[in-house]
Amino acid sequence: MTDTTHENPMLPYLGRLVGVSDLATEIKLFRVELLEGGSQAFAGSQPGQFAFLSAFGRGEAPFGIASTARRGQPQNGGGRVLDFAVNRLGSVTTGLHELGEGDEVGVRGPMGTPFPMEAFKGKNLIVLGGGIGGAPLRPVIHTVLDNRADYGRLTVLWAARHPSLLVFTEEYDGWRDSPDTTLYLTVDEPDATWDHHVGLITDLLERVAPSPENAVTITCGPPIMIHFVAKMLERLGFAPEQSYVTLEARMHCGIGKCGRCNLGEKLVCVDGPVFSMAEVGGLLESFL
Amino acid sequence: MRVLSRAELGAWLDALAVEKALLAPTEVESVVLYRPVQSSAEIAPLQGNASRPVLSIKEAFFPPTERLLLIGKTTGPGNGTGGQFRLRETLPEGEQIVFGVRPCDARGMRALDALFLHTQPADPYYARRRENTTLIGLACAEMGPSCFCKSVGGGPDDPADVDLMLTETDKGYVVQTVTEKGRTLLAGLELREIEGEMPRSALNEPVPIPDMLAWPPHFQDAFWEQSSERCLSCRICAYVCPTCRCFAVRDEALPSSQGEECYERIRCWDSCAGDAYRRIAGGHNPRPEKGQRLRNRYFCKFYYYPQQYGPVACTGCGRCIEACPVNIDITEILAHLVTG
Amino acid sequence: MTHAAAIRGKARELLQTGQVECVLGYETGSRGRVRPAFIYRPEEVERLVWNQACTHNLTTYLPAKLRPTKPGQTPRHVAVVVKACDSRAINVLLAENQFTRDQVHVIGVVCDGIVEGAGFERIPESGAAPPPALQRRCQRCDDRVPLVYDTRIGEPPAEHPLAENLPGDAELDRLEAMTPAERAGFWLAQFDRCLRCYACRQACPMCNCPTCLYERDDSLWVGMGIGSSEKRTFHLGRAYHLAGRCIGCDECERVCPMNIPISLLNRKLAKEIELAFGYRAGLAPVPGPLVTVLESGEVKP
Repeated sequence: MTDTTHENPMLPYLGRLVGVSDLATEIKLFRVELLEGGSQAFAGSQPGQFAFLSAFGRGEAPFGIASTARRGQPQNGGGRVLDFAVNRLGSVTTGLHELGEGDEVGVRGPMGTPFPMEAFKGKNLIVLGGGIGGAPLRPVIHTVLDNRADYGRLTVLWAARHPSLLVFTEEYDGWRDSPDTTLYLTVDEPDATWDHHVGLITDLLERVAPSPENAVTITCGPPIMIHFVAKMLERLGFAPEQSYVTLEARMHCGIGKCGRCNLGEKLVCVDGPVFSMAEVGGLLESFL
Repeated sequence: MRVLSRAELGAWLDALAVEKALLAPTEVESVVLYRPVQSSAEIAPLQGNASRPVLSIKEAFFPPTERLLLIGKTTGPGNGTGGQFRLRETLPEGEQIVFGVRPCDARGMRALDALFLHTQPADPYYARRRENTTLIGLACAEMGPSCFCKSVGGGPDDPADVDLMLTETDKGYVVQTVTEKGRTLLAGLELREIEGEMPRSALNEPVPIPDMLAWPPHFQDAFWEQSSERCLSCRICAYVCPTCRCFAVRDEALPSSQGEECYERIRCWDSCAGDAYRRIAGGHNPRPEKGQRLRNRYFCKFYYYPQQYGPVACTGCGRCIEACPVNIDITEILAHLVTG
Repeated sequence: MTHAAAIRGKARELLQTGQVECVLGYETGSRGRVRPAFIYRPEEVERLVWNQACTHNLTTYLPAKLRPTKPGQTPRHVAVVVKACDSRAINVLLAENQFTRDQVHVIGVVCDGIVEGAGFERIPESGAAPPPALQRRCQRCDDRVPLVYDTRIGEPPAEHPLAENLPGDAELDRLEAMTPAERAGFWLAQFDRCLRCYACRQACPMCNCPTCLYERDDSLWVGMGIGSSEKRTFHLGRAYHLAGRCIGCDECERVCPMNIPISLLNRKLAKEIELAFGYRAGLAPVPGPLVTVLESGEVKP
């Protein structure tokens, strides 16, 4: 094995699990140290991009990269570390959930069109995450926090069906402490200790009613949530060009060959997964 | 024109079959397929549409099942996903010649090249096979009843996508050298110069093909749901097609471990016709209805694929028409787009 | 009145009175080929035809057509045109609770046999000489009158064909004359060119599992590759799943793009079931013996 990046886009890099923790019910956070050429391959990974993780013996599946390349800088001669949130739903994710620290996985990427963070500079960001949809949004939040002066106001609306399904809870205070940053939380069903908003993220959004002036929104969550959030944003005066989403699709290659992930004429793996709602609206096919 | 007699052709192919893998139309039970042959005697009678193989040459470059990697476990329990691993890519080796390639099949390579080779990143498995393969084409004396190659820019005697083109005449097979690869294959072969004109193939009635931009306005037509009712959601049309290329990827256990290698990662043919094809973990499916899936097939061929990669993903070979058990006819679909 | 006219008349009446939402029948498609037709409006019944190219087993569309898509939905009603073989499928589907009897108005046609090439070739002209050959299943057919129907089109033949006058099953005889090793070699050679296109499964009315065992992504009972081991497992497994259920329409074999004698495998198992249990699938809406739990001492369902 060498340190060079692979020419074969179907050949994964090896990654070592350096942390496996419970993020929420049936959702684990995997901290993966990229070995050999993988560390270099992911040096330029941007918020919104994804990677294929292999549970060897089962297969691979795409996961949003849930951390920034910068925060995962190689230390002490090790490899770059990236985070992935994995919801246990099928055979590959079950295979991943069986793993512990020290086990190796495969990593291919980074793939996909990222969020246009450069274009977002100087603007107010409204970030809306539903359930595990928060994972690909985390590097957006980290990028803003780590380059605070480059961005305007940061408003985060974070939702889940139940408090046990909220992700990255240990970071919320850190987000709130950042200048000009507000965090709103909501759940569909509270538990006994819940003292934040109860209701759908669209209700919360309506209450918060952020201004569309010089703002962009970034939404990630189940398709139905993206749909209703988009409608609410329109009602609040946001133009489709100001609203960005990251869409999920069933994928097998991630590099625009296998044909599976198309939404109309666009491939979610290559043209997306990040799209503006203007682009989504222009697609022949609905993602719903 | 330079010609080879049938006997000379046979002898030449026999010689080639000794050095490299030779694939040619051959009868497998009652079906003609491009398969490896050891001698020219195994080649099926060449003319007429009945002798065109049921599958295209796609399988020589993009096989129904292909191993991508071997996965070896260096530590960790035998079954289960935990442990340390070593990966070995398994790129295809070996040169091959495909003989008797119909122009429609060769033209299919143009669509597949656009995807696998010319759109980054290039697919190394396809690229290797492509590099290591020489195509000897065979012109069709006439178009078959469901052929419409001419209408989509090809033609029954079109030499454009092969390395050598053979055309049968009563004086022998006329040989056209199309590429350097073809010229190299011919090296040392004596061809006879004769006078005469290249025969032209008999053509069918053209099939009107809608302009690419005619497709989007028809996306919501009830036509798709109506046409799909009889569709069985099998995969015949995708599998016989020279250009369909959807594939699935998975790891599977090797039948028996070879040292530490215990898994292989394979890809194999898939089709957008099935209802699970596009279902996301968690259950959401943007194409739950048959009509949406039928629509996706035809839009992909004539609109999505050219938008993404360039060529239209149809060579007018008509195999889907011949093979569909419920008479879903691509020319009927195209007619709706043209007249509707 | 021709059979076609009678079918149209009945279809028109059923649609006009709202007894059914849809009539599943046959129409002439492109290139003179017969294909399945889904008729929703009385004015469309003129599309319906009947001839010796009406090969498709339309009952394969029934489970999906009649299954409720939302809980509490009013049950749907359709009419379906069937031949005798197809009608046996209705009995099996009823026995397996795929729908209720009242959901289907069965238009049963007394069939003169279906010709080779049906569905793929232009319908032969009536009176064509020489007359086109009948499909082998039709040559062997011993009862051309549908077993279950609400409307019968055509009269039963004056004489029931005598079993001893029907051609035997030469293919099955050849298979049974083989040694087990020869049989294994034969079947593996046949499956070799299989593509796992699943047309055989999709055409079959009895193969109606929401997710086929052999395509499950999660449990992976069989690998997804298009290889010898997987194909053997699929075909042999499927034959077992059809034992006691297959009614011998042979559509699986007709639709196979590789001319694999799929129906031969099913016929072999059907013969075994008949020998073991005295049972033939589809004669009544009773489940097959291999899907029935028998008490000790019982040999018949």
